[in-house]
Amino acid sequence: MAKDSYLKKILGAENFSRIQSSKVLMVGAGGIGCELLKDLVLTGYGEIHIVDLDTITLSNLNRQFLFRQNDINKSKSLTVSKAVQHFNYLNAHLVSHHGNIMDTNKFPITWWEQFEYVFNALDNLEARRYVNKMCLFLKKPLMESGTTGFKGQIQPIYPYYSECFDCSTKETAKTYPVCTIRSSPTQPVHCITWAKEFLFHSLFDEVESDQNLTDPNQIRSETDNEAEIAFFQKESTELAELRHLITTADPPTFINELLVKIFKADIERLLLIDSIETRRGSRKPTPLDVVRYSSQLAGLLADVSNENILNLDTKMWSVLENIYVLYKSSEVLQERIVSGRESSISFDKDDEDTLNFVAAASNLRSSIFGIEIKSKFDIKEIAGNIIPAIATTNAIISGFACLAGTKYFTTPSHGTDYSAITHKSSTIFVGITPNKYITSGTLGPPNEKCPSDALVSRGVFKISPTDFTTLTLGWLIGQLENYGYSRDDISIQKSNSKLLYDIDYDDNVDLTLASMSGLKDGELILISDDSDQLESLELYINIAEKTSLPELVLRPKVTHDEPEQENEDGLLENGMDVENDGVILLDSEAENEENDDLLIIDDEPSPKRRKIA
Amino acid sequence: MSLNQIRLQEERKQWRKDHPFGFYAKPMKTADGSLDLRQWTAGIPGKQNTLWANAVYPITIEFPEEYPSKPPKVRFPANFFHPNVYPSGTVCLSILNEEQDWRPAITLKQIVLGVQDLLDTPNDESPAQEPAYRAYKKDRALYEKKVKEQAKKYASA
Repeated sequence: MAKDSYLKKILGAENFSRIQSSKVLMVGAGGIGCELLKDLVLTGYGEIHIVDLDTITLSNLNRQFLFRQNDINKSKSLTVSKAVQHFNYLNAHLVSHHGNIMDTNKFPITWWEQFEYVFNALDNLEARRYVNKMCLFLKKPLMESGTTGFKGQIQPIYPYYSECFDCSTKETAKTYPVCTIRSSPTQPVHCITWAKEFLFHSLFDEVESDQNLTDPNQIRSETDNEAEIAFFQKESTELAELRHLITTADPPTFINELLVKIFKADIERLLLIDSIETRRGSRKPTPLDVVRYSSQLAGLLADVSNENILNLDTKMWSVLENIYVLYKSSEVLQERIVSGRESSISFDKDDEDTLNFVAAASNLRSSIFGIEIKSKFDIKEIAGNIIPAIATTNAIISGFACLAGTKYFTTPSHGTDYSAITHKSSTIFVGITPNKYITSGTLGPPNEKCPSDALVSRGVFKISPTDFTTLTLGWLIGQLENYGYSRDDISIQKSNSKLLYDIDYDDNVDLTLASMSGLKDGELILISDDSDQLESLELYINIAEKTSLPELVLRPKVTHDEPEQENEDGLLENGMDVENDGVILLDSEAENEENDDLLIIDDEPSPKRRKIA
Repeated sequence: MSLNQIRLQEERKQWRKDHPFGFYAKPMKTADGSLDLRQWTAGIPGKQNTLWANAVYPITIEFPEEYPSKPPKVRFPANFFHPNVYPSGTVCLSILNEEQDWRPAITLKQIVLGVQDLLDTPNDESPAQEPAYRAYKKDRALYEKKVKEQAKKYASA
């Protein structure tokens, strides 16, 4: 029997041939991408383009099954298309692109035009928003998908007919300001975060370049105090030196250095720059008197029976006991690395050594800043709020994304009029709530306050190279009047909220478009109506053969008395029939790779929840 | 396009239509000839019959990318003398603090009026600099002298 017999039976021969002759794009080749590509290839898509900017790392292998040990450091997009070849029975033509989907040189709008359908398999908010926006520009159908732990979601998006990605507010994980964590803690959770994500991470975990707590830009956005910035830098350098000691010094030396540097010297240095500005409401810290405790510590260490302290997980350890636990856990962690069994160690609440270390270190820091001590049990709960990436969830969600995507190809096409297909499609959630493992909801219409599809129309502004260098901003304003805007009421912004023109600012009208920096192929400009009559218009500048503005009929502007008051509950009011699962949030920054593929959802949003980055 | 862009243009329009007497606020001109709607300069007049009167105090207002989810940062010149202004000039005010009273619906007008109110009614609870705070609590005569000197420096024409 031919390999495609069942597909033809299930989908219908005609529909199947539509799939076979179609060209689709898959953005992302990670947790979801690996699963999804397998599904797409076996569904018979004729041509599949794959874009990913990442290379494969060791930690991907536990769930990204198209990758093997010897693929480490290779390009994800190139590797996946090779990996699926041995089951590419239906001869899908695979085209890999190693690059950033947001790169307008590599992927200009004319490149996007070739695809009939777009599948997102991304792990971050920024790229999701970008793909959503490109699909809105070109009115291409998009399948959005994401998972967090056991939860997952797919959302088909039909531009201007159903909710787009930006129509619902995305919950961003609660994060504490870097300065609170690093120099002015006031609560146990600040010290726990510090111990786990800064101290532990810097000493034992894989070194990552984009760690939030050491990001100089983040720090500068929070403090202007040069002394404090210098303090942070020095502290980071010293931690790198301590990390070096793990493999070069014996345990007593390493641990003593750790105690002295982190809990004494650093705090003394912090006191030198102490001011109201750097204190931020925290108490004045008292450096740990390491010497005073050294003989008592030696006493505890001498008696093996004291190891029982480690098991007293509901007791509030004394300062001495915390030092003891820090000593014992550091010793084991060091041994694990020195023995070569592990090259790095990630915090895991169920890995007692890592938990002991974090509990003791955070308690010592708490005592320094006059914050209450917590039991190991409590700390486990607070520190353990980590959502793992689960291969099964990725597989289920990818399966749904693929299946739901075929619906588009089994429904008669009406160009970019998506009313029929919107009606037939649904969004799907999976989770482990009993009796609600899989739920679905109808697609809501665009949110009337959504800045991406309800308040704005979009189009491609094609302009020839000659016109670009001769026509002026004033000419463009004249063209815009054809849409119904009035010259006195429009404003023109380029990206990053830079205003080029409005009634009070006409300095640029006689300049040519090319001479305005920032206007170039691939850039966006936003036109708004200050008289509130018409909606906004976003134009994508595309240097092309012939100059033309998009043919569009702008809708009346929808105004709201309460401007941009955010919907505090989060979202999804539009037609989702997800019952009492509380709010379903497509949340954001799952940039952490252990947490790939996005997000979602939280039935019991706890305000202090912090996603582990 | 983002909410940020729509909202900033809206703030500019609203300010043009209606702004409190004696205040000014405008986006800064950038090197490439555009106006940066995320960086504004503004002037806050001291209220009449207060120590702060007859002067217009310059501030900068910086809107982050996440505005209006996150509040703008308001700064006086460095070392501005006021108990709730950090040595860097950054204003410590609850409506400008995301953790406290910031709400996305707060407008530019409300912000500058809030800063004006703060001038003559410092908040004891959140000291941000030593000199002004200490003088305010312990040596009112010195405090008043310093504030008046500062008012002269920024005297309105």
